[in-house]
Amino acid sequence: MNATAVLYKTKRWTFTAIKYVLVIAFCVIMAFPFFWMVSNALKTNDEIWAVPPVLWSADPSWSNFIEAWNAAPFGLYMFNSVFTATSIVVIQLINSSMISYALTHMRFPPGRFILVMIIVTYMLPVSATYLSGYVILSRMGLLDTYAGLIISNSVTIFGIFLLRQAFLQVPKEMVEAAKVDGCGHWRILWYIMVPLTRSTLIVMGLLSFIAMYNNYFWPMLITKNPKLQLVSAGLRSFFIEGGAYGLKWPLIMAASTFTILPLVILFLIAQKWLIKGVNSAQSINK
Amino acid sequence: MNWRKKLGEPQAYLYCLPALVPYTIFWLAPMGYVMYLSFMEWDFINPVKEFVGIENYVKLFQDQKFYKALRVSLLFALGNVIPCLAGGLLLALLLHSRIKGLAIYRTLIFLPWVTPMVAVSIVWAWIFEPRVGLANAVLEFFGFAGLEWTHSSKTALLAVLIVTVWKGLGWTMVFYLVALQNIPEHLYEAAMLEGANKFQQLIKITLPLVSPTTFFLFLITTIDSVQAYDQINVLTQGGPAGATRTLLYLYYESAFQRFEVGEASSVAVVMIVILAIISSLSMYVSRRRIHYV
Repeated sequence: MNATAVLYKTKRWTFTAIKYVLVIAFCVIMAFPFFWMVSNALKTNDEIWAVPPVLWSADPSWSNFIEAWNAAPFGLYMFNSVFTATSIVVIQLINSSMISYALTHMRFPPGRFILVMIIVTYMLPVSATYLSGYVILSRMGLLDTYAGLIISNSVTIFGIFLLRQAFLQVPKEMVEAAKVDGCGHWRILWYIMVPLTRSTLIVMGLLSFIAMYNNYFWPMLITKNPKLQLVSAGLRSFFIEGGAYGLKWPLIMAASTFTILPLVILFLIAQKWLIKGVNSAQSINK
Repeated sequence: MNWRKKLGEPQAYLYCLPALVPYTIFWLAPMGYVMYLSFMEWDFINPVKEFVGIENYVKLFQDQKFYKALRVSLLFALGNVIPCLAGGLLLALLLHSRIKGLAIYRTLIFLPWVTPMVAVSIVWAWIFEPRVGLANAVLEFFGFAGLEWTHSSKTALLAVLIVTVWKGLGWTMVFYLVALQNIPEHLYEAAMLEGANKFQQLIKITLPLVSPTTFFLFLITTIDSVQAYDQINVLTQGGPAGATRTLLYLYYESAFQRFEVGEASSVAVVMIVILAIISSLSMYVSRRRIHYV
């Protein structure tokens, strides 16, 4: 081997090493807060105030999880989150499919205008409307109700984009052929479009579910009844009230852990879909 | 006959209704209504709203608090968008270049995005604890002095930004990863034949070809930055001394803590106008400068 080849090899090897070090360092930084959350959930009250911090408890107190679970109605909060998020996702899947079908495969010139209007509002901050939205919802008598939580979140503009993009990929000829065979729009939508765009629908449902399970600001504004709180709001009250602020950190960390857990599991199961879905989401701006 | 053609199939309207009705009630109507309310003085309760013309805006534009919030919002947006885009692209480039264990890295980096902002902000609040928190332990380990983090107006915004970027990075990375995969390999082969080095390839091929993604992510991340609420609410509640009070947080405080509906509405309208300007500007730029494959 001559000198240049050796030099080249060393150089490449160095690059690879730097690459791995960087990537692994990044991963550690990204994942460490989660490790820290679990580790601190298991600490005793002495360990948690230790300087320098204890990495892992000498005597992990798993009972912290039970104590935290019983300290506030977390079961109810999680039910509220899962129930409203699921209802919202189902409604969104149906109404987004319908409007996307009208926008892509029906003879519907005003659809163009509707699309532009939707795109424009997507680029505006929806939270700026929470104040007036709150007034409107209260006029409808829907404050502090599941119905209010569900209906006010029942449209996803991002989802409509995503689906419209997927529906556009379905060949017009296929729809025409179905029409010739005597299929109405309703059957075409549910028996041709939906099965063909299944993966986009799954992604859209997942993204919506995650967003709605995690939702905090708007649900907090429109529900004052503690029995209707979603997990984020429930966790935050637990954090502030109950004398927990700064005192019972292990319990707070334990509560955060089981709040996050369902999403982590969902994500691990569904991640291949999510990442696939990004591909279609990209084309929104085209 | 002609107008019937223009109106399209009657059935199409039925198909639009289930989405358009809630859209109108919870997006369009509130947009219009908040503009109307910005000319009123009201406290949610009084049956009569008093028309005050542009007074709310006049007061707002004379208020130091407003300019401070505007500055905080701008800093927050820059401090979120730039690291998220640059970091996301860097990570995607690293992961794209034939690396073992890609799926594991991708999962770990994307994980924060999935989790609830409130829960992870609480975890970070503990990490930022000045006396026994992890952040200061790490700083002191490397020989730096510990910071006050969320307790000092100098570092509070930085703390909130760290959480925001940490959570958002995986999202931009995944988008960039897909964009990189879509670049045809033969472009790089051609460039190599012509003697372009890696850096030139990055500047001349990769960056222009991922520019649609950059544009898309810029827009999404900017919109998200303007609307950041959860992490501010948990970590600092706009403080200390307004150091993390963004326009959105100012709007929240005046609407739901001080019940100044008119004042809050005028802040909301300002936010809408600012985002409308940013969006249309970036659309305009993208039309002229973005390369699609």
